[in-house]
Amino acid sequence: MISENELWILSFYRISEISGSLFFGRLAKSLKAGPIQHDMTRHYADEAMHAWYWTDCLAKLGAEPLELGTAYQDQYLAAAGMPVNIMEILAITQVFERRVINQYAVHSRAQDIDPLIKETIERIVEDEKWHIRWIRDALKDMEPTYGKDTIDTTIERFLEADREVYAKTVREHEERVRELLPT
Amino acid sequence: MSTENAAKDTRIRKALARSLNREPESLADDVVLIDLVAESFALVETVINLQEELNFRLVQDDLRDVKTVGDLVRVCADRLPHP
Repeated sequence: MISENELWILSFYRISEISGSLFFGRLAKSLKAGPIQHDMTRHYADEAMHAWYWTDCLAKLGAEPLELGTAYQDQYLAAAGMPVNIMEILAITQVFERRVINQYAVHSRAQDIDPLIKETIERIVEDEKWHIRWIRDALKDMEPTYGKDTIDTTIERFLEADREVYAKTVREHEERVRELLPT
Repeated sequence: MSTENAAKDTRIRKALARSLNREPESLADDVVLIDLVAESFALVETVINLQEELNFRLVQDDLRDVKTVGDLVRVCADRLPHP
């Protein structure tokens, strides 16, 4: 059995992966054929699989996912403003993916972590590393179109929003995530 | 409105209607965009759909004051190349 806090955290991961998958799936559907459509389609499929891994992990731990209203990324738009083009979508995703990897890394180092949770995290992080790579390369390819400075400024804008949203999330759910915070 | 601008206006409204799965006639200028979608990410998706379908690009400043269908159609028309 897992604790109430763990159940909340794993459910939170699950709902965030589902939200990511739905978003990328819809974008992959509307993008024109090309390298970005190709990689975004794989990204969408990965996020869907991650949601499945967490659902299955919870089931194997004898738990059912909690119904959580909002995912982490829902708060990004309020903090950073809406991404208005495909470059901005990739920039916000890059920032979000870095946060995800950091969060999973911190969680995997938690004391007394269940081996199944650790294994699930390790499986997901392998995909997340590729997510960061393909988006970094795509943003590099966009420099002639959007300008390096514009891309860098956009990433910085979303980094600021990410710091704000993360701090707010930690404040709101301090009791639940205390054991996972970096010391 | 010139014939050219009227044609642009129609193309944008048709694309917007398709993306939102609505009839173009239901998209009056004063309809608030956020009321047309279930959540904010759907609005992001709509804006990307418009750019992909009509082949133009918006920047952050373009959408700063956009609240309604009429606002969005206007900024898209400004960015949309002439046919």
